[in-house]
Amino acid sequence: MPEKKDLQKDNEDIRIGVYTCYCGGNISDIVDCEKVRELTETLPNVVVSRTDMSMCSDAGQAMIEEDIRKHGVNRVVIGACAPSLHEQTFRGAVARAGLNPFLYYHVGIREQDSWVHHGNHEAATEKAIVLMNSGLAKARLLKPLKPIKLTAQKHALVIGGGVAGLRSAWDIANQDIKVTLVEKSPFLGGRMAQLETVFPTNKPARDSLHELIEKVIDHPSITIHTQAEVKSMSGYIGDFNIKIEQISRGVSSELADQEAVIDSCPVEVSDEFNYGLKTRKAIYQAYPGNFPSTLAIDWENCTLCGKCEKVNSSGIDLKKKSEIIDVNVGAVVVATGFKPYEPRQGEYGYGDFKEVITLPQMIRLLALNGKDKALMFKGRTVRNIGLIHCVGSRHVPGIHEPQEDGKVNDYCSRVCCTATLHMTNDIRQHYPDVNMYDVYEDIRTYGRNHEEYYKQASENLVRFVRFQAAEGPQVFASENGNDQPLVIKTKDYLTAGLDIEIPVDLVVLSVGFMPNPIEELTKILKINPGNDRFLQEVHPKLRPVETAVSGIILAGTAQGPMNIQESVTAASAAASKVSVLLGQGQVELEPFVADVDHDKCNGSGECVQVCPYEDAISLEEVTINGKVCKRAVVIPANCVGCGSCVSACPNRAIDIQGWTLGQYESMVDAIAEGMLALEVSA
Amino acid sequence: MKDPEAKPKILILATLSGGYAGADSVGQLHINYAPNVYVLPVICPSMFAEDFYLRAFDKGIDAIVVMYSGTDCPYIGGAERTAQIINKTYPLMKERGIDTRRLRLVAICTVCTNPFLKEVNIANDLLQEIGSVTNEISVPA
Amino acid sequence: MATNKIKVDALVVGGGISGMQTALDLADQGYQVALVEKEASIGGKMIALSKVFPTLDCCSCITTPKMSAVAHQENITLLTYCEVDHIKQNGKGFIVGATNKPRYVDMDLCTGCRQCEYVCPVDLKNPFDNNLGAIRAIRVPFSTAVPQKVVLDIDNCILCGKCQTACAVDAIDFTQQPEEIMIETDSILLATGFEVTPKDAKKEYGNGKLLNVIDGLDMERLLAPTGPYGHVLRPSDGKEPDSIAYVQCAGSRDETLGVEYCSRVCCMYAIKQAMLLSGALPLADITIYYMDIRAFGKGYEQFYQNAKAMGIQFIKGKVAKIKEDENQNPVFRVEMVDEGGSVVEHTHDLAVLSVGMLPSFDPTPIFNVPNDTDGFIMTPDQNFSASLTMIPGIFAAGAATGPMDIVDSIMTAGSAASAASAYIKSQQNGKEESSSKIADLQKESQHA
Repeated sequence: MPEKKDLQKDNEDIRIGVYTCYCGGNISDIVDCEKVRELTETLPNVVVSRTDMSMCSDAGQAMIEEDIRKHGVNRVVIGACAPSLHEQTFRGAVARAGLNPFLYYHVGIREQDSWVHHGNHEAATEKAIVLMNSGLAKARLLKPLKPIKLTAQKHALVIGGGVAGLRSAWDIANQDIKVTLVEKSPFLGGRMAQLETVFPTNKPARDSLHELIEKVIDHPSITIHTQAEVKSMSGYIGDFNIKIEQISRGVSSELADQEAVIDSCPVEVSDEFNYGLKTRKAIYQAYPGNFPSTLAIDWENCTLCGKCEKVNSSGIDLKKKSEIIDVNVGAVVVATGFKPYEPRQGEYGYGDFKEVITLPQMIRLLALNGKDKALMFKGRTVRNIGLIHCVGSRHVPGIHEPQEDGKVNDYCSRVCCTATLHMTNDIRQHYPDVNMYDVYEDIRTYGRNHEEYYKQASENLVRFVRFQAAEGPQVFASENGNDQPLVIKTKDYLTAGLDIEIPVDLVVLSVGFMPNPIEELTKILKINPGNDRFLQEVHPKLRPVETAVSGIILAGTAQGPMNIQESVTAASAAASKVSVLLGQGQVELEPFVADVDHDKCNGSGECVQVCPYEDAISLEEVTINGKVCKRAVVIPANCVGCGSCVSACPNRAIDIQGWTLGQYESMVDAIAEGMLALEVSA
Repeated sequence: MKDPEAKPKILILATLSGGYAGADSVGQLHINYAPNVYVLPVICPSMFAEDFYLRAFDKGIDAIVVMYSGTDCPYIGGAERTAQIINKTYPLMKERGIDTRRLRLVAICTVCTNPFLKEVNIANDLLQEIGSVTNEISVPA
Repeated sequence: MATNKIKVDALVVGGGISGMQTALDLADQGYQVALVEKEASIGGKMIALSKVFPTLDCCSCITTPKMSAVAHQENITLLTYCEVDHIKQNGKGFIVGATNKPRYVDMDLCTGCRQCEYVCPVDLKNPFDNNLGAIRAIRVPFSTAVPQKVVLDIDNCILCGKCQTACAVDAIDFTQQPEEIMIETDSILLATGFEVTPKDAKKEYGNGKLLNVIDGLDMERLLAPTGPYGHVLRPSDGKEPDSIAYVQCAGSRDETLGVEYCSRVCCMYAIKQAMLLSGALPLADITIYYMDIRAFGKGYEQFYQNAKAMGIQFIKGKVAKIKEDENQNPVFRVEMVDEGGSVVEHTHDLAVLSVGMLPSFDPTPIFNVPNDTDGFIMTPDQNFSASLTMIPGIFAAGAATGPMDIVDSIMTAGSAASAASAYIKSQQNGKEESSSKIADLQKESQHA
């Protein structure tokens, strides 16, 4: 082993501690950790090699710290779970012991070894040893690094003016951090504004919402842009440069005689606030009392006919203007919300029969109908309502058709069960004679006080009918002569799978949640949706509101179905995270950026040419040995560490700190040599 | 140094934002695969020039799968540059008599468990067919 | 009695996952936090679990780094084996009296080497293993405990003195007295967690007397890699069970117990355990008797469908009664809902009660923080400030405010930290007079 001896001689001051974790059996049930310890103990530069039931525990960490303090360990190699889980934990331990935290390397031997080679203990042990040896090879070449400290803008951008975005903005602003809030539509409030009362408090939805909106509008640290969208983003946590495009509202806040202006508009389009149950004009408000109270022009549908201007020339400007606003923020909160699932044509008769509507439409219908008269729909009195659960949720591949994007909506939308039962109680209260049939698979009234709605519904004589996914209900037109236009046919498993037919006047589909379409935004922010299309958190328990991009935080239903309480809670949790990140006015970045060896650099400029980032690397005049010459110089804050420059350099003068070519080559060598070389050396 | 009996070795260079997390996802599902696979985490494989791959083959790595993040690459131009370098590596491999199928570039995402396993199988099937890289390189480095 | 005084911005009561996360979120923002935990280690219920749904991460792997982070966060004063005795309003803040219970071990001296534990002759049921395994009278509470210090169970100690002899650093002190701590704080966060339905709650399920009827937490320990037997064995005869059945809603949605609410976690933990069991005992039949499967969280429904695909049997049925046959096998009397309510008897080897969550800590004797009718701490503004209790400055997080799973607990912890932080800020920007008030109160306590 001449190579190894040389290594030892060259690195006499390298003293490595090797730590192999049992992970409470997760690793040691498959990998013979003691064998790993025995073998690594004999390798060059290794001072101690130890195992522990749980290296990440306080005791495990204390053991490593003690080795650093007492045994002069100055490089640490840990074989344990995936580095993504515990790298930070161990960096902390190493740093506490007074060693530079980057003199530690983490080898994943759980996810990439014991958990994937459980059929072959010997091979898994061998692989662990080889992986640990490659980690050792890298450790010998580790250099101390310093995190890059950047000033963080005490300013956050919140995307989305629904309840989650509003609440995030409010909570962040209360931590002495400035907030810019952008909302794509002309009005604040999002989906919550379309509700009448909210469970479990039964309070009027818009009262509480408006209270929050007023507080947000009045907050001196919050700037709101409606009809605004994020167009580009550059920079990094602590210092994102964001361009926001703001479209003009077309209407002055001073505009008087709003009603006359609205009446003058000849355009009628489907009213999204009422989910198409009504129409609205192209100059409009979402609903009476909305925020901001100024009307807005729907530029997509306005024909620019000018009739509104004739009613009031001073308050209206039909020239659509767009303005780019630059903001410099330290963090971004994505609160882009959800849209209700839109059933396919023919799904439970939706689109085929006008009497099939969705739950959100039903909520609007009840609001529009008024409470003191019979419940009417399209001119008919409604006496029998069939409610069908899990429409667009809990789909099973092979039973339900995939969506347009080929995906199956296999998730539970969490909110629809309680929302539906909450609504049945409303209906019972105001329309005591209406019969309701609730066709469900499981009733998921899980939340605090939600079960009460289920109980009330039973007391209210809502008739429950239970289906199974494979034999879901179907909706048909009634035979002629029937009083009710539709009939729901299903097997009822509450009556031993009896085939039953329910004649109804109205079918209400409890539709699930879909994320709002934000493909453009996700590209701009470089964040990813999960399999269910909702935005993906790093880890549901360790980092539940963070995305893979540092500084970009999730809030509310952009992340998954949630009710209002959960959205608001998530929004506050997001605000907490923003406050942790920006509150101190400083952000620490990992030091994995390009570094130029000016002795090897000859100023070829290849790196500058290949670098895709602005101001990350440039040729500067520097003085070396009294001679002025051109050399590549890196600006760490602008370098992302992608390494394009490393492969471009003809002189091997550039490396990514912490991930150098030399380190990779030594790791590859260790893998290529494999076990045999190790056993010989042992 | 080389062991004629040695089992074929597959090196996977996997991006932290893609393939490496994908390999971890396979682990979380506890799906067994061949143990002759060694995954090294990389920030972005665009840092490796052609000679890095040639050197690895010289050292006795039998197959290399570069698992980059493809269109999900968080770095501007990282994916394109990686693809360019790999394409430039193929003729150099041919020159040395190395079967170009030993080097593959594939996009693997954080939850791409099946594609990850497929790649492991492809590489192992290939090595069953064509054997160790030492058969192809006459003068080891 | 010696009294220590500390002054902090926030006092967090409870060192489970919610309390730890709350404390970390506040401390990471620069606030001074005291964390009081009544047990000898932080970690709460979570640290005793096997794996967590729906990711099947090893639970200890998620919890231990948080525990470690709490221990190492400079802004957190960690007070374990400590209980809150009284709370007094102090302007808009509070003065809290707490007692450090005697561990009979000097915390500063103990190194956690466990030599005392090895020589201790007293074997007791291990509370960490839900009394399934054994533990010594003097012990580190469990392997990953934070702090890694021993604690002596004086009630069961025979005072043989072997531990004292074994201790190299003279840390054992049989004369240790309770120690009072006075905590002046601007805010209080209650993260006092939950208890589970007692095993003897339902006489229909054997009143806790049937050996082969265990509860979900027992099964967690049996499945945990650090568990008492290293295998899933049934208690009566130590055999591997071939047929395991879960009883859902055993303690929830049950008016006869006065628990009308859904405990939210039982469906998912039963499904998770069923999946882990089918790995541990590949030949065993696993049945879950349920009323509604409530797999509502992110990724949960998919998890449930995977379990069904794995062959775990889900039967919609009410388990009316469990009795024992001559081999101590639990015999279920089930009303089969999907079969029109017909009543059948099924015999299994092992029954697991999916017990629900009950409130754990009642603050009312200490301070007037009212509970709701469900017994959990009342949070009147459930939609907009779910962490706000009836008392300004006192917040609640996690399962103290009602049943919830780990993901939801962590979310509420972040939200409670945000609310408390706003309260502390508004307080500290607007008041200076608190130091004189504490002087008054200190005088009071000297007189007392």
